[in-house]
Amino acid sequence: MRWTCEQVEAKLGEYVDGLLAPPERAELEAHARVCARCAPMLSSVAGLVRSLHDIEPLEAPPLLVTHILDRTLGPRRARWSWGGNFGWFGWLLQPKLAYGAACVAVALAVVLPAMGFSWRAPRLGDLNPLNLYRTADRRTHLLYARGSKFVSDLRVVYEIQTRLRPETAIPAEPESAPPERFKPREPGSSGTPGPGPARQQNRVNQVPPSPVVIAVVLPGAGERSLP
Amino acid sequence: MEQDAQLIQQCLRGDGSAWERLVSQHARRIYNLCYRFTGNSAEAEDLSQEVFLKIYRTLDSYRAGQGAFTTWMTSVARNLLIDHYRKRRYDRITDSLEDAMPVVESKESSARPPDRHAMLGELSRQVQVALQRISPDLREAVILRDLQGLDYREIQKVLQTPEGTVKSRINRGRIELAKALSEMGVRAG
Repeated sequence: MRWTCEQVEAKLGEYVDGLLAPPERAELEAHARVCARCAPMLSSVAGLVRSLHDIEPLEAPPLLVTHILDRTLGPRRARWSWGGNFGWFGWLLQPKLAYGAACVAVALAVVLPAMGFSWRAPRLGDLNPLNLYRTADRRTHLLYARGSKFVSDLRVVYEIQTRLRPETAIPAEPESAPPERFKPREPGSSGTPGPGPARQQNRVNQVPPSPVVIAVVLPGAGERSLP
Repeated sequence: MEQDAQLIQQCLRGDGSAWERLVSQHARRIYNLCYRFTGNSAEAEDLSQEVFLKIYRTLDSYRAGQGAFTTWMTSVARNLLIDHYRKRRYDRITDSLEDAMPVVESKESSARPPDRHAMLGELSRQVQVALQRISPDLREAVILRDLQGLDYREIQKVLQTPEGTVKSRINRGRIELAKALSEMGVRAG
């Protein structure tokens, strides 16, 4: 039995919904294969139903539920809730914000103690900008003085090491050659002496290494201290 | 379904929070039904409020044994929509549908295929326009079946019509809707 176009059209909905029995389904498909009118109709309806099923429901207006509740339960006072009152905290949970806050915390942990603030015994006065500035200024100068002292001590140590160093380690100048400073000056030259280390080395060479001198120098170096 | 039944029992005992949850769960569904039927968001919002007002007043008449709460609620909404349609029928007949229709982009005018989400959004608007072109009986059948997802038995209960009539309306509605979309230059599927 061959179906007519009217029969196909009548059963189209059930066919698309998969509700037709296999024999009916076969009849409908057989007709659609040879019918120039029913084939596009079948295709378009099947496509339409697929598309309609894909369409997502629209979002309801945001105040719809509120309006419904107002009309049914009456106007209500806004209830306190965590979500309503602290919902804005959500933006604090962004990774970049948390990273920035961590950086600020680390910076404060480093900078505040350097400016005189004590985490163990915090005082409000320590956070006074004037106090912070004074403390920072004092500590900066202290740091500079300590650095200067360290460099000075290094120089003393270097001098001691130089005196203790055997003369053989330093290449001696040939005695036949006249000292640099006794060379006749060229006209127009400044007459400045030669390089520092060489001159210093020469001066050191003139002083014989003596344990007495060292004994005098070392206590003196140790007595240096900052007020 | 059991959750709905529990909430309804709590509502009938005067629990306002249960009613609030019930409204929150079903507001979107009812709004979609109203919007698809009327094609107007403001009207749909007003009608949705009316639907829930009626549900609230007649909640004690719901019997769980007669079917799902969703079906009963849809039936209430459908009756209100029909009433609304009848009140505005003459206006709708005299109004030109073409004037109220938004400009629909034809399939030939699209230079490149948009992404699926945007395509579905556009299709949703085009379907909404096409739905207004078919008769209310067919429209509600298609909306209930293909947009609200009700099965034939539920639709039969909502429309209170024989099964054959429901199938026929759904079938005719789909064919008419496909034709309307085709006339608009929209190719679904």
